[in-house]
Amino acid sequence: MSETPRFSRVLIANRGEIALRIQRACRQLGLETVAVYSEADADSRHVHEADVALCIGPAAAARSYLDPDGLLLAARLTGAQAIHPGYGFLSENADFADAVEKAGLTFIGPTGASIRMMGDKITAKRAMREAGVPCVPGSDGPLPADMDAVKAIALEVGFPVIVKASGGGGGRGMRVVERVEDLAQAVTLTAKEAEQAFGNPTLYLERFMQKPRHIEIQVLCDTHGTALWLGARDCSLQRRHQKVLEEASAPGIAPETIAEIGARCAEACRRIGYRGAGTFEFLYEDGVFAFIEMNTRVQVEHPITEETTGIDIVAEQLRIAQGARLGIAQADIPLRGHAIECRLNAEDPFTFMPSPGTITRWDLPGGPGIRVDTHVVAGYTVQPYYDSLIGKIISYGATREQAIARMRVALAEMKVEGVSTNIALHQDLLADPAFARGGVDIHYLERWLAQRTAS
Amino acid sequence: MTNRSEQVVPHFDRLPEPEQIGQMATWLAQAGLESLELCNEAAGLKLRIRVGQGAPAAMPAHAPPAAQPDAGAGLVAVKTPYFGHLCLVHPQRDSAFAPVGTKVAQGDIVALLTLDSLQVPVPAPIAGRVAEVTGQAGALVGYGTVIMQIQPD
Repeated sequence: MSETPRFSRVLIANRGEIALRIQRACRQLGLETVAVYSEADADSRHVHEADVALCIGPAAAARSYLDPDGLLLAARLTGAQAIHPGYGFLSENADFADAVEKAGLTFIGPTGASIRMMGDKITAKRAMREAGVPCVPGSDGPLPADMDAVKAIALEVGFPVIVKASGGGGGRGMRVVERVEDLAQAVTLTAKEAEQAFGNPTLYLERFMQKPRHIEIQVLCDTHGTALWLGARDCSLQRRHQKVLEEASAPGIAPETIAEIGARCAEACRRIGYRGAGTFEFLYEDGVFAFIEMNTRVQVEHPITEETTGIDIVAEQLRIAQGARLGIAQADIPLRGHAIECRLNAEDPFTFMPSPGTITRWDLPGGPGIRVDTHVVAGYTVQPYYDSLIGKIISYGATREQAIARMRVALAEMKVEGVSTNIALHQDLLADPAFARGGVDIHYLERWLAQRTAS
Repeated sequence: MTNRSEQVVPHFDRLPEPEQIGQMATWLAQAGLESLELCNEAAGLKLRIRVGQGAPAAMPAHAPPAAQPDAGAGLVAVKTPYFGHLCLVHPQRDSAFAPVGTKVAQGDIVALLTLDSLQVPVPAPIAGRVAEVTGQAGALVGYGTVIMQIQPD
């Protein structure tokens, strides 16, 4: 490449394991890193490793990791020419993406317009439907004000239906309705909640799938018209809409089926001019895929796709932002073996209450097929201000059985003292016969936990 | 007419004195205002004062971290309320804001943080005498950096 790179110094607008993950990718590409951190994260590993480190505010995220003005000022002061938002915080804030570019910096992610389109569930669904991505039957737009018209739509879609806020997400602002006579009240209540929570009372409704799995497709798009799909992940094991354990590929779904959906996702990206990494999330039930939303950022569970494709997704994000072409063709992407990720949280394994504190012992697993992504070192203090993710163990095997076996050993080797963790929960899940068969639905873990409590 | 505000910013052909910036910040706070911006393009001057009032996330409230007496010598650390390049000397004058030995009142400006055209005052957390200046002039300092120690009265 003879072109001069757009940036040589990247500000990492995040914390924890993903900040370290981004920093590693930057350093491997010869890019300098700027770590901006809150007072609570002063002792973080990526802060010590950074070329420039700057404390930008107190522990409260609103005055540090969520402060767009502060981040832009910090970029200017430290000479960073690009900002990687990671996941969470400002990663899916379209106004921030626009502000970064307006300041003459590179936002490592899609355009603000793409983020905005996908942030509104109604426009996102409409765009996906037009691009040939399968969607769950629904209202195909905002619900009308006339309740009789709403009822007509619901009857045509078929009960049970789920009423959702257009501006919602993460499991908030939605309500399941089993019978037509309960519809009016549910719509009124959800609209009121949506107005309060998201400042937008717009609702839509769709068929409520009863026992779906959560299947998602990773995509990667450059700015030269290439859009690739990198296989599927099954993230059905969730508790309160938080993913706990993920795997790639999705057990029991034919590769040809995934390939067909993947190709449509890639086509949708080309149509909307999508740039960078992204994820199409689907509900899957009885052979039917239904698009729910697109995440316009790197995801926590991206490593399992890296393991099964051999592609460094974060490095590709950086290269794409530099204006480079993807050097891989769809046909060259191998979908080989099987990978599992267990999210390690500092939390009580039974009550799931966060367990902040100082980690006094931190023995990591190892061996073939084991990868650990973590910012934690012995003596690290888990802060109460942020989420409780302390690391991710990723196992890879030629087969699902081998990946599970390796993960079992890894979890047994992993020793953490000083805080409680959910290691035991992962061990129990791996020993569960239904998990071993593969293909449990998104409600399985909650039911399983309820039974565990009862017995 | 000798209106006080005119006295403070006569024609804005030079930056106000730190005491004046402090006074303006107080007036802003009293009026419930968040920020003030003065610009004199011909003179290439720009002054932005922002005050914290539990304002929304849009602009950080520059409330300095709470003053805590050091257990040993009874000194109180002056911590930066934001990040920026540390300026210990008034930009328009040669004299330092608060060299060692200076007597300060609580809220007196003892340093400035400069971020391009933005200047953030660093107030004294407590009345007393400057015992030590640890901050390095011109250095890029983060939020909450200790730049001085004050021996309280």
